[in-house]
Amino acid sequence: MNAVLLLVGLLVLSYLGSFLVGGRTVRGAGLPSGVEYVALGFVLGPQALDLVGGDMLASFEPVVQVALGWLAFAVGLDFGYAGDRRARAGNLALATLGALVTGGAVAGATWLVVRQFHVGATVTEQILLAGGVGVACSETTRHAVRWVVDRHSARGPLADQLNEIAHTDDLLPLLAVAVLFSLSPATHIPMRLPLLEWPAITIGLGLLLGAGAALLVRCELKLDETWAVLFGVSLIAIGTTARLGLSTLTASFFAGIAVSLLSKHGKELRAMVAPTERPVLLPALLLAGAHLSFHDNPKLPWIAVTAIVVRFAAKIVVGWILAAASPAARKAGGLVGLSMMSSGALAMSIGLAFALRFPGTLGDTVLVVAALSATVGEFVGPPRLRIALKRAGEMDEAQAAPSSRRVPA
Amino acid sequence: MSSAGSVARPGLGTHAKHAMLLVGFSGLLFFVTRAVPDMHGGLWTIAAIGFLLLAGTLTSELLGPLGLPHLTGYLIAGIASGPFLLRLVDEHTVKSLSPINTLALSLIALTGGAELDLGAIRRASRGLAWAMLVQCLLVLVLVTITFMAARSFIPFARDLPLAPLFGVALLWGALAVTRSPAATLGILSQTRASGPLATFTLAFVMVSDVVVVILLAAVFACVRPLLDPAASFSFDSFATLGHDLFGSVALGTTMGLIIAAYLRLVNRQMLVVLLVLGFGASTVLDYLQFDSLLTFMVAGFIVRNMSKQGHKLVKYIEQTGTVVYVVFFATAGADLDLPLLRQLWPVALLLAGSRALITYVGSRAAGRLAGDPPVLRRWAWSGLVSQAGLALGLSVIVAREFPSIGTAFRALAIATVAVNEMVGPILFKLALDRSKETSPIRQPSFPSMPPPPMPG
Repeated sequence: MNAVLLLVGLLVLSYLGSFLVGGRTVRGAGLPSGVEYVALGFVLGPQALDLVGGDMLASFEPVVQVALGWLAFAVGLDFGYAGDRRARAGNLALATLGALVTGGAVAGATWLVVRQFHVGATVTEQILLAGGVGVACSETTRHAVRWVVDRHSARGPLADQLNEIAHTDDLLPLLAVAVLFSLSPATHIPMRLPLLEWPAITIGLGLLLGAGAALLVRCELKLDETWAVLFGVSLIAIGTTARLGLSTLTASFFAGIAVSLLSKHGKELRAMVAPTERPVLLPALLLAGAHLSFHDNPKLPWIAVTAIVVRFAAKIVVGWILAAASPAARKAGGLVGLSMMSSGALAMSIGLAFALRFPGTLGDTVLVVAALSATVGEFVGPPRLRIALKRAGEMDEAQAAPSSRRVPA
Repeated sequence: MSSAGSVARPGLGTHAKHAMLLVGFSGLLFFVTRAVPDMHGGLWTIAAIGFLLLAGTLTSELLGPLGLPHLTGYLIAGIASGPFLLRLVDEHTVKSLSPINTLALSLIALTGGAELDLGAIRRASRGLAWAMLVQCLLVLVLVTITFMAARSFIPFARDLPLAPLFGVALLWGALAVTRSPAATLGILSQTRASGPLATFTLAFVMVSDVVVVILLAAVFACVRPLLDPAASFSFDSFATLGHDLFGSVALGTTMGLIIAAYLRLVNRQMLVVLLVLGFGASTVLDYLQFDSLLTFMVAGFIVRNMSKQGHKLVKYIEQTGTVVYVVFFATAGADLDLPLLRQLWPVALLLAGSRALITYVGSRAAGRLAGDPPVLRRWAWSGLVSQAGLALGLSVIVAREFPSIGTAFRALAIATVAVNEMVGPILFKLALDRSKETSPIRQPSFPSMPPPPMPG
């Protein structure tokens, strides 16, 4: 396939994606994780039909990096908000705890499997592999709750709480990515710094660039100049971190947070950037699918099964914690945590970031586990969320049928 | 913040903030480029685009109080960060930005076409026809003569016999006829100017794009036997030209109709559609060897004049305005060969100056013949000085078609175009300001914010 043809194809996909964010008629269409686009990418990629070859994927790395960085920037800009509302501090704490429990449990279990089967040449590689899998499995996709709520017109305290948790559990995974990347500094970097300084530089760079953008946007820039500033800052964050071998996702995420916090136009900026998220996400997911490789690691099935099973168990535990803290969640029953099984955009972005930063067994394993976890989450998360919302009395039987199928009155 | 506005001009504090941020962003990139070798060329291109966007925007704002156009700021930012000064953007990165430039040029041409109102052109047709005739003939003839007269200052022309010298001079004359649609549209986009001068300049520059292509084909046919004794006069280039022109117009018309239908029936996510058109159609046009600038211009023209969707298209493209112009002109600045300019600046200045003078004389003469209003008689020349990508593109064709003089000819063209590229936009903006065609209304910062009221 010609590179321009692929680019145009991605843009067409992006165009289709843009229709999924607007308009009630199509809202709730597709899967919350977007895993179907990952599957499409895999089918087109070098492991299946080979319409998108390995060389072409390599030449598209800048496009992928830009997509990942922009998504992380959008997530950062929206961090702490669920829709127009600011998320409550309690839910932010619960979300972070949930990500810590899930990611920590998965990373620990993966570490045991990796040690058992001697996957990875060095201890650092083993830590990176276990940590990467843990981080990629820790989030709940932000689209999951909205997907169910929009599709089934559910409303209530549990829906709100789960929505806020899904919107605020990205902080820890993205911090962890910065730390993990610093464990193995890029070989071409002449500087040698203590372990924690690289993540600090990543975060500092993001915050600094974001603060610069916020300062500029505070001035009365024209609309198109505002786009120039946002693109400019985001692209500098992506380019510099990629050159330094740091986490593009983390720096862009913190740049987004800084812009959101420091700019007096935060609401307008979120409204500007939010519609770009889905159009960027779908091509990124497609390229992530094309990067999937199942052949590099013979122990991959063990790692994947362990990660997914432990993630399942950890989400149940997170549900218990949630039920202990929230009356609305208590009403939904003991398995409420499984309603947060859906993972997607961020998990795949983390997987893809690992695949690009650590090409070979390590990166491929993290990406594949992220994709499989998102697929399994797709089968468990939305149905369990519907059950939880019904038990909590926030969605009745009539609403259980997708709202788009109902005949208008 | 926009220098176009006469309201709420930014104060010293804002400029200090811009300067501080510019230094900060430059310092960051300076440190990274010096401290860490680039192992992934493609990835640094990302940072380069980001930096050019920010540096161009900030530099243009800093130069605002001097009355300089934004384009000049973009160019200066590109030159400063380019491979010959700060080296924040290296040569490889500049080359890898060419697809982005192609896209920018496509959007610029589309805007140009969409801004051309058939009614306005009809009203100004007498003036345009005279100007086109006089400018083309006078510039071609007098620049050719100037080039021959100045041959002792031009290293590669000094020892040429008369016939080849005349051939090279004629090629130079044809090159001098080219204008810069991008610079014209960039200035009009910034100033939001409207009036006879803005309308005339836009129409002249866009139409002259077609005229130049025809003129160059004629000049090529005449010059070939002069530069290559083995060659004979041939109409082959006209056949190719006919194919190119008709193909471009046909494809542009089709594209325009499709865009108009889309705007009428769907009218959503136009930015993505424009990106698909920019990348996809440019590749197809390149493969078919059609003139992409002309194709996109015709498409825009069709949307504007054959449908009621023109204003929508212009609105969509305006939203990308700053990004497109910054990337295009900052990259042009970074691509500027400063060592070459340092070497050739006296002769480049001589040739650029004489071209500007001839353009001025031609404009006065054409204005008098056509009975143009005073504002056009006085200022019409100012928008015709800029040269940029089109002239450079033609110099590449000349270098390819006439290898014996090609490299040296192109080097001189790059140096001369650099002078015109820097001076032209300043002159045009000055003329628009003086003729009071610059809009005093500032664009709103965000869609939710209304534009500030008109003074008085």
